Amino acid sequence: MRTVFELSWRLLRGGGRRGMLGSLLTLAAVAVSTGLLLFAVGANHAFAARSAADAWRHPAKTHGTATAIEALNTDYARGRQITVVELAALSGDAPVPPGMKRFPKPGEVWTSPALASLMRTMPADQLSQRFPSRTPTGTLGRSAVVHPDELVAVVGRAASDPALSAGRSDTMIADGVASPTRIDRYATGSQSATAFVYQVLAAIASVLMVVPLLVFGGAAARLTVARRDQRLAALRLVGATPGQVVAVTVAEAVLTAAAGAVLGTVLFAVAMPALTQIPIAGGTWYASDVWPGLWVLPVVLAVPVLVGISAVAGLRRVVVGPLGVARRETPPGLRAVRPLAFLAIVIAFGFLAGGLTSMGRTGLILLLVFLALAFLGINLVGPWIVAIIGRIAAGTARGPARLLAGRRLMDDPRAAWRTVAGVALTGFVAGFLALLNPSSGMLGHGAAADRLEITVPEASAATSAAQARDRLRALPAKVTVERAAKPSHGVRGTDGEGNDEPDGGGNDEPDGTATIRAVVDGGRENVDRARTALTGLIPGHNATTEADSDIGSARLLADLRTGALTVLAVSFLIAITSAGITGASAVLDRRQTYAMLRLAGTPLDVLDKARRQETLIPLLVMGGGSLATGLFFATPFAMGFGSTGALTLVAFVTLGFGGILAASALSRPLLRAVTTNPAPRPD
Amino acid sequence: MNTVPPSVLSGTGLVKAFGPTVALGGVDLAVGRAEAVAIMGPSGSGKSTLLHCLAGIMRPDRGEVRLLGDRIDDLGERRRSALRRSRFGFVFQFGQLLPELPADENVALPLMLGGTARREAVQAARGWFGPLGLAGLEGRRPGELSGGQAQRVAIARALAPRPAVVFADEPTGALDQATGHDTMRLLVEATKHNGASLVVVTHDPAVAGWCDRTVEVRDGRLLTPFPGAA
Ligand SMILES: Nc1ncnc2c1ncn2[C@@H]1O[C@H](COP(=O)(O)OP(=O)(O)OP(=O)(O)O)[C@@H](O)[C@H]1O
Ligand SMILES: [Mg+2]
Repeated sequence: MRTVFELSWRLLRGGGRRGMLGSLLTLAAVAVSTGLLLFAVGANHAFAARSAADAWRHPAKTHGTATAIEALNTDYARGRQITVVELAALSGDAPVPPGMKRFPKPGEVWTSPALASLMRTMPADQLSQRFPSRTPTGTLGRSAVVHPDELVAVVGRAASDPALSAGRSDTMIADGVASPTRIDRYATGSQSATAFVYQVLAAIASVLMVVPLLVFGGAAARLTVARRDQRLAALRLVGATPGQVVAVTVAEAVLTAAAGAVLGTVLFAVAMPALTQIPIAGGTWYASDVWPGLWVLPVVLAVPVLVGISAVAGLRRVVVGPLGVARRETPPGLRAVRPLAFLAIVIAFGFLAGGLTSMGRTGLILLLVFLALAFLGINLVGPWIVAIIGRIAAGTARGPARLLAGRRLMDDPRAAWRTVAGVALTGFVAGFLALLNPSSGMLGHGAAADRLEITVPEASAATSAAQARDRLRALPAKVTVERAAKPSHGVRGTDGEGNDEPDGGGNDEPDGTATIRAVVDGGRENVDRARTALTGLIPGHNATTEADSDIGSARLLADLRTGALTVLAVSFLIAITSAGITGASAVLDRRQTYAMLRLAGTPLDVLDKARRQETLIPLLVMGGGSLATGLFFATPFAMGFGSTGALTLVAFVTLGFGGILAASALSRPLLRAVTTNPAPRPD
Repeated sequence: MNTVPPSVLSGTGLVKAFGPTVALGGVDLAVGRAEAVAIMGPSGSGKSTLLHCLAGIMRPDRGEVRLLGDRIDDLGERRRSALRRSRFGFVFQFGQLLPELPADENVALPLMLGGTARREAVQAARGWFGPLGLAGLEGRRPGELSGGQAQRVAIARALAPRPAVVFADEPTGALDQATGHDTMRLLVEATKHNGASLVVVTHDPAVAGWCDRTVEVRDGRLLTPFPGAA
């Protein structure tokens, strides 16, 4: 084994400047792949970490003797959500909450750092007077806070406090409230519905990023092998055993990949400060959440292994028949099974699509499967279409450049596909996201931000309204009472949608309810004053506006957009890097032919034009085709084709083609370099 | 100064050094119309360098190269490239055929580069296949041809643009002796038949024997010019 590694190392170093350049290209490809792979893993890790930090706030029913009461509520200030956890001890061994040194005593307020600073900067009558203590008793530790900007308060109360016996249900955020529950421990292992949705979205994003990444990584691995083809065939011809040939090449590929994986990890670490600034779910990220921790090891180890496997696969041809490589026979045609498989996937999806949205979780899993299948399908049909494009281009070519490009596409459609695969797959992502990318115009605009509402039992409505008027005396507010038309279970429909969350626990609620409504003039400051004044009016219930409840949905839409843009950015990075690297390696692979053509007087321009067309023609066809496929796959979930969707598409076309053109233009100096001294010599 | 017969291609006082290595140390060589000149000499003596200087592939450090009386060594790369494309043909040991083009398009390519329309170029290219014993192989790709066949396609490719001079650097070095001799004889005859001159580097005295004249290179200098025929 040692001699194999030594030989590989020597081959690596002895390959000369150009051989070294080839290895550097592989190194760069593997580094970019590893970095992005770590990003995908890190994103999932981060969402899991957020979910874990959030879990304890949602009380779960006790199994043994209850030792504490826990309730959850959501308040609002300055258009931001504040999560309020209320706790009361039932006995001395009440469980210490995560991120706190001890169980909070009645009257204490522990806050997240962001809330503490907001309480300092906002006037007391707008925020801090809502809490039993105007200055925080303590700061919540890292394990109790979801993200650095999160506003959280843990309020200690006495078990007899009315706030810990009143049910809470008058809000639309199913996850943002929980009625007082007797607990003996925190639900640290569970997951809230919102956290689940985010983790699923992160999983979809990962599939969209990782599949092209693997295609690209595989191409990069094959790149090492392809360049060694000739030399390895020569080794075979002089009698090296297949085992030796495989060992040498694989060792060489694995050595390069291992260095690339380490470099990629460094790249990811360097990019982390920027990545943690991507705002999702109302805040940026803790670096320790985004860093995948121990998961780095398996990734860094798996990458060289995968590259090694890919190298073996690419080598099979050499080992099976050395002449196959040495003599370059006509490659076997691509089988018609490729387009058939793709068609089957599209047709199957077409049949199922209508039902997907009504299938709930099964539909989601089916969608994930179909997304992966669509990627595979595009990857299968790609080379086949490239071959056809080549046939057409070669058949209709008038000039030498087009003829060369067409024949090259026909000769090795897989290699040509590899150059454009990244962009084609990105086209699919862009098409898919263009329809899923809703514009803000779809939000219920004009939701009142100055009309505070609070739900009360019908019987006490008049009394409560009088108290409210009294509390709001000093403010320009008008208080009215409206009886609920239907018996409410705590759900206040605004638009008839999004009401299917499970009933949060309206058991304590008497059947008839009424709404006390306070219209406050004087902007956000006065509304926050009114909120503060009304705090505690109805124990366990906050006064909220319609606009408050839109914060959640607006945030989800914004997050979808941020996620889509992130996925697109990653895809483009993959696409452009892969176009640049495969383009450069195509030039390196064919340096002898290029040198010969130059020597016989072929102008550099013709060679360059041929090289460009070789990339551009399939790019146009495949980019457009996969864009259309992506649009098709998104139709069942289409939220409408808003201006954002159109912008996404325009950006895709501009960035995609511009990026690819720029990346492939990098091959031009390389082409010039390999042809400057056209004296023919075997490598 | 011109003597009879006028030379098509001439190099005078050619010097070329690679760093400390002097590959050519002042060489004079003239090639007449339709004349076949063999260049022989030990390995590393400067044969390929001489050929490259004469063919406008390299610029000599000193001396001059003339084609039909016009200097070509001081032209820019673009002009020399155009010259190689239109006035010269090349046959090398390996690699001059594009593996993805069928044989006839390989032969047609230089014509297309010269501006001939594709249909006419391919038509003209196919005309070379019969005389060179390649009938029926027009659609094959280089990987599907034997070594000898591939070299004959390369000869067709070199002759198709009707060049003034064909350069060949050990064109049969990769072939067995019998095939190599057949191919060389074909190269010499076809070149002459088409009125082109031939400059061929070879190690094989038999090959040199079919040429009109042999020059011997030693350490970057011409040894004994043998004027006249073999
Ligand atoms: N690009 C180069 N860089 C450095 N030295 C070179 C280069 N090309 C040729 N040489 C040197 O110039 C000398 C002549 O080389 P040349 O290739 O002309 O020899 P040759 O006679 O063709 O040999 P062979 O019969 O082995 O092909 C040699 O010493 C060679 O090492
Ligand atoms: Mg030589």
